[in-house]
Amino acid sequence: MSRIRINVAALLTTIALIVVVSQLANAQSSPAANQVPRTADGKPDFSGMWDNPKEPGAKGAATVFNREKMAPFVPGGEALFYEPRTGDPRHDEPRAFCMPSGFPSAFLGPYPIHIIQTPQYLVMATEFMNVTRIIPLDGRPHKTDIEPTFYGEPIGRWEGDTLVIEAKNYKRWSLDDWYYQNPKEYRMHTEALRTVERLRRVDRDTIAYEFTVDDPKIFTKPWSVDWVMKRHPEWEKTGLYEMVCNENNRCEGGNCRK
Amino acid sequence: MIARRLTSIGALLMLTTSAIYAHHSFAAEYDSSKPVKVTGVVTRVEWTNPHIWFYVDVKDEQGKVTNWGFSAGPPGVLQRRGISRDAMKQGDVVVVEGFRARDGSNNASGGRVTFADGRSVFTASNEDRAPR
Repeated sequence: MSRIRINVAALLTTIALIVVVSQLANAQSSPAANQVPRTADGKPDFSGMWDNPKEPGAKGAATVFNREKMAPFVPGGEALFYEPRTGDPRHDEPRAFCMPSGFPSAFLGPYPIHIIQTPQYLVMATEFMNVTRIIPLDGRPHKTDIEPTFYGEPIGRWEGDTLVIEAKNYKRWSLDDWYYQNPKEYRMHTEALRTVERLRRVDRDTIAYEFTVDDPKIFTKPWSVDWVMKRHPEWEKTGLYEMVCNENNRCEGGNCRK
Repeated sequence: MIARRLTSIGALLMLTTSAIYAHHSFAAEYDSSKPVKVTGVVTRVEWTNPHIWFYVDVKDEQGKVTNWGFSAGPPGVLQRRGISRDAMKQGDVVVVEGFRARDGSNNASGGRVTFADGRSVFTASNEDRAPR
């Protein structure tokens, strides 16, 4: 019996040694390959070409919010959230008339996102409709005297190695209609929307991207999803292509030009 | 019955692939209950945003020729996948599958294009590659 115990202990020790040695070997064989690049001021550098945010491991081209992750509705919130489709394309699908997708919808479609980082600003540009967010990184307060906009007013700040982008001043618009294709309704946010993005570059090719929706006119509390963005260095050769919605939108709203 | 089932599977696939391209939801412009499949000769290609368009002369059994317009992916998406404006030329014979425009005109989504030599481009499937 004791011999068996000794043998088991020896086996466990051997396994532990193999694990440690193999980890050391891995660490030596790929030292800088997976390190997070940093800017001159020591911050993680998010610059590069990235795929749109997705659920980890998701294969789908575009992203929508998972209803199960959302907080409960406040009284009356559900009616503000679900906008019934009416059959009028101007109401049901304003993007068919080259209206904006809004944030975050425009950044959830299957198009590259180019991030450019300086000490003062992070620029996040998507090929989709050529939408660009210029995000100051000084943690300045949000404006109180501006009209709400489709893409809101994003302001960034650093919390250690995490870049936190908080945005307000949104116009009431679709939350994620880009791929939320329910024929009966689409999903909206109100002007009370506040979004919080938390970006961590966890390795060379991955940004952990936590997205929080806080819309107190619809939900009882803020709720979050954990997405990732994957780096695509091969897209850097061409950069973002131009996408001009009005150039040849031939079947605008379902009516095709001759 | 099997054919009908295959058709609906095909329709589903087409919807999925079309949605990948669109700058808006597919349903705003095309009718998923009206699949279109034509064979004809390419007369013109518009390499434009937000979607490229190409036009195909289709001859019916009586010899009457109708010109159809088909939309496909945004030029940027296609170029990133190695598909350039040279992929389709005037005079090419193609089979095009898609869904008819809501207004009933001779326009349709044209996600799937097969050339006379069997090459298939403008589909959004991952296995699709640049034409050789």
